[in-house]
Amino acid sequence: MSNKLDLRDVQGSLLKAYGRYGFPKSRYVFYRVNDGSQARKLITALLPLITNSAVWKGPEQIPDSTLNIAFTYEGLKQLGVPEKSLHSFPPEFSMGMKARRDIVGDVGVNAPACWDPIWNTDGLVQPVHMILWINGRLVERDGQQVNTVDAGYQRLCELVAKHSAGVEQLSGHVGDEGDDPSYQDGSAIYVNGMPTAKEHFGYTDGISEPYFDGCGSHSSRVIGGGKPTGGDPKTKAGWAPLATGEFVLGHRDEAGEYPAAPIPSVFAKNGTFMVYRKLHQNVATFQAYVERMSAAIPGEHAAEILSAKFVGRWKNGAPLATYPTKESADQFAAELNQARLEAKQPGAGKAAQERYEKLRLELVAFDFRDDIDGSRCPLGAHIRRVNPRGSLEFGKTGAFNTPGALINRRRIIRRGLPYGEVRDRSSDQGNHGVIIVALNASIERQFEFVQQQWINYGNDFKLGNDQDPILGNRSVNESGNDRMTIQADPRGKQPPVLCGDMPTFVETRGGDYFFVPSLTALRMMGDGIVDPT
Amino acid sequence: MPNIAGNAYGLTTLCPIKNGGPPHRLDEDGATLPDNRSFGAILRDRLEDLPCDERSPMARVPNTYLCRFFVLDDLIYQGKPAEEDHLKSKYLVFTSNFHGDLETYLHGMWEHAADAVRRIWEHCVAFDRVTDAGSFVDYIKKCQVETTFYFMGSTDVSLAEQLKGLYLKQEFSKFAFANQGKSAAELQAAFAEFAARTRPDNVQGPTWRPGASQLKDAVVEGP
Repeated sequence: MSNKLDLRDVQGSLLKAYGRYGFPKSRYVFYRVNDGSQARKLITALLPLITNSAVWKGPEQIPDSTLNIAFTYEGLKQLGVPEKSLHSFPPEFSMGMKARRDIVGDVGVNAPACWDPIWNTDGLVQPVHMILWINGRLVERDGQQVNTVDAGYQRLCELVAKHSAGVEQLSGHVGDEGDDPSYQDGSAIYVNGMPTAKEHFGYTDGISEPYFDGCGSHSSRVIGGGKPTGGDPKTKAGWAPLATGEFVLGHRDEAGEYPAAPIPSVFAKNGTFMVYRKLHQNVATFQAYVERMSAAIPGEHAAEILSAKFVGRWKNGAPLATYPTKESADQFAAELNQARLEAKQPGAGKAAQERYEKLRLELVAFDFRDDIDGSRCPLGAHIRRVNPRGSLEFGKTGAFNTPGALINRRRIIRRGLPYGEVRDRSSDQGNHGVIIVALNASIERQFEFVQQQWINYGNDFKLGNDQDPILGNRSVNESGNDRMTIQADPRGKQPPVLCGDMPTFVETRGGDYFFVPSLTALRMMGDGIVDPT
Repeated sequence: MPNIAGNAYGLTTLCPIKNGGPPHRLDEDGATLPDNRSFGAILRDRLEDLPCDERSPMARVPNTYLCRFFVLDDLIYQGKPAEEDHLKSKYLVFTSNFHGDLETYLHGMWEHAADAVRRIWEHCVAFDRVTDAGSFVDYIKKCQVETTFYFMGSTDVSLAEQLKGLYLKQEFSKFAFANQGKSAAELQAAFAEFAARTRPDNVQGPTWRPGASQLKDAVVEGP
C-alpha cells in the first residue's frame, strides 16, 4: 500500500528541491548552544518559521525564502535531549564527520587540519551544535532583483537576538577575500544574469533525484529516480518507487523494516539525517589535467569528450549512455532548451508541456544494460559510480532477486548549491566550490558507503583501487589509485585511453552530520518533553 | 566433489585442544611462574603472536593460497527453539586453500614450517604422537572435516604462477600507462625492454613474494 507522508510534519528540504522552485540562493548559519533552556525557547520561537514539505499549489503559496533547522549530536546534548535518547542514535551520527574521517576519506588534503576554522577545532567534540539554513527566491521588486536571503536572514537574526543567552552564532568560514563571514553563502552560478544548474567545472549538476513512495513528486519522476525493475528504463515499467524509509525515519525501508532511529519513535518519525560538506574545487588543476590528457583522445572536441567521460554526462547534462557523440548530445540539448522555453511561454498548451517533459525524461531515463563494456559511459565515470542504475549486475540477468539489490539501499537525496565564484581560472586558490547537503535515513549505509566504496575505491565496479575521477581523494596515493581507464568500443579499432597521475580535483573544507527533526520533534525539543522512557 | 575444486584443495581441520592448563610457565629469564591460562588461551596468544604477511611461517609453505587459524571456544546458543549444544573441548580450527594434493601440501608444511606447527599444535589432544611428516599427515587427516566452500580469490594454478601473473598484471598496467600513444616502433622497443625486465616465462622471478600484502614490499627479483 502506498505510503502517505504527513507533509506538514516533514521539513521542506527533504521533499522539496528548492532550486526547482526558483530559489537560486542559500545561506547556512551555524550556532553553538550556550544555555540549553534559553536555546529551547529559541527553537519554540523558530517553529512557526520552519518550512515544511506541504505542496505549494500555486505561485502565491511559495514564500520569498525558506528556513530549515538541524542539530549535531553535541547540539542535541546541549539542548537537553535525554541521555537515553542520545544513546539511541546511530554511532556514526554521535561520532560526527570528523571522527569518521578515515571512512569518508578526509585524509591528506581533505584532513580536518585543512578545514575552515569553524570546523577545524581541537579534538573530536563537535564545535557546531545547530544549523539554520535559508533558501531565497529570485524576486523582482520595482525593477530590481532582490536577494530574499538577506530578508530571511535578517528575520532570523532578530529572533535569535531575543534569545542571545541561549545560542551564539559561529564565524570561521573562509570567504571571498580570505575573510571570516559569520555565515556560509551558496548560490547558483549566474550566466548572463540568470541562474544556471552548473557547477564550477562547468558540468550541469543536480539532474538525478531519488523517487520514493510518498515523496509527492509527479509519478513520471519515478523514471530514472526510482529503483530499477529490469523493465524498459525509458518507461515507468522500468522503475518502482523506493521505500519511504530510505529517506524518512519512522517509515518502512527497502529491508522491510523501520530504519534505525532514536527513541521515542515519535521523536524520530518524519525526521532524517543530513550531511553538510563544503568542497573546494581545484578549477585550474582540473582544466590543466583535462587539456593535458585530451592529447590521448583522437579527433575533434577531445577536451569535451574527456570531460564527459569523467562524469558520464556531457557538460550540458546529456547522458553518454544515450548520447554517445557530441553532435547527438548538442542536438538533444538544443531541443530540450527550446522545449523548455516554449513550455514556459504564457499560455503554453498541454502539448508544449508534454513535449518538454518527454525530453526532460531523456536526462534520466536510461541505464547501462546496453553499455556493459563501458564504451559509451566508462565503468568508472562519476554518475555510474554514485548511482549505478543496476549496472552492478554486469549484464547477467537474474543475478539477484532484483536488479537493484546492491544499489537500492545506497541512494541519497542531494540538496546543495555551489558557493563563491571562480575569479581566476588559472589558479586553484580562491573561494569556490560546492556545498553538499545530502539527506538519507542512514549516514553509514548510504552517504558513507558511497563515499568510501564507490567514490574512493573501485572494487564494486571491478576497477581495483581506481577512484571517482571528480571526487576521489588521491592526495594519499599508496596503491595506484590515481588512474581512470576510459574503455574503448571492443568492436572498434581505438585503444582504451588510460588517464594516469590524476591529481585531486575536489578538497573537503569542513562539515558535519546533522539530525533533521520533524516539526513534531522540534516542538518536543522546544518544550523539553522528549521522553524515551 | 568435496575438498577438491579443479587443482585447488580446500582443507578444513578441527583439532581438539586439551582441557585445563599447565601449572607454570617460564618467564624471559627462565624463572618459573604460575600460569593461570588455559591451553586454549595459550594457543590463542601464540596465534596472535604469529608474524603477518610475508613474514608468516605459512608464507614459507609451498602453494598456500590462503589459510586461517582460530580457536573455536564453544557453540553459540541460537535461542529458542534451538537445542543448546556444547563442545567437549575447545578446537583449533585450521583451514587452508592450496594448490595440489593434500599429502604433498602437508609434507611441505612440515618441511618448511615444522617449528611453527609444533608451537601451534603443542597443546592439542594426541599431538605428542606427531614426530615426523608422516605422522603429521596422519594426524591432520584424522581431524579433517569435509570442505565445500572455497576462498574464491584464486585461480587454480600453482601459487608461483599466480604470483607471477599478479606481478605481470601490475607491471603491464604501469607499462600501458607509461607508453600510451607511442608509435608502433617505439611501442615494440618499449615492450621488448618490458619483457626482458619482467621475464614473463620465468615464474621464479621477478615476481611477488608469497604472503606480501603491500605493493612496496611485494616484488622479489628471483634468480
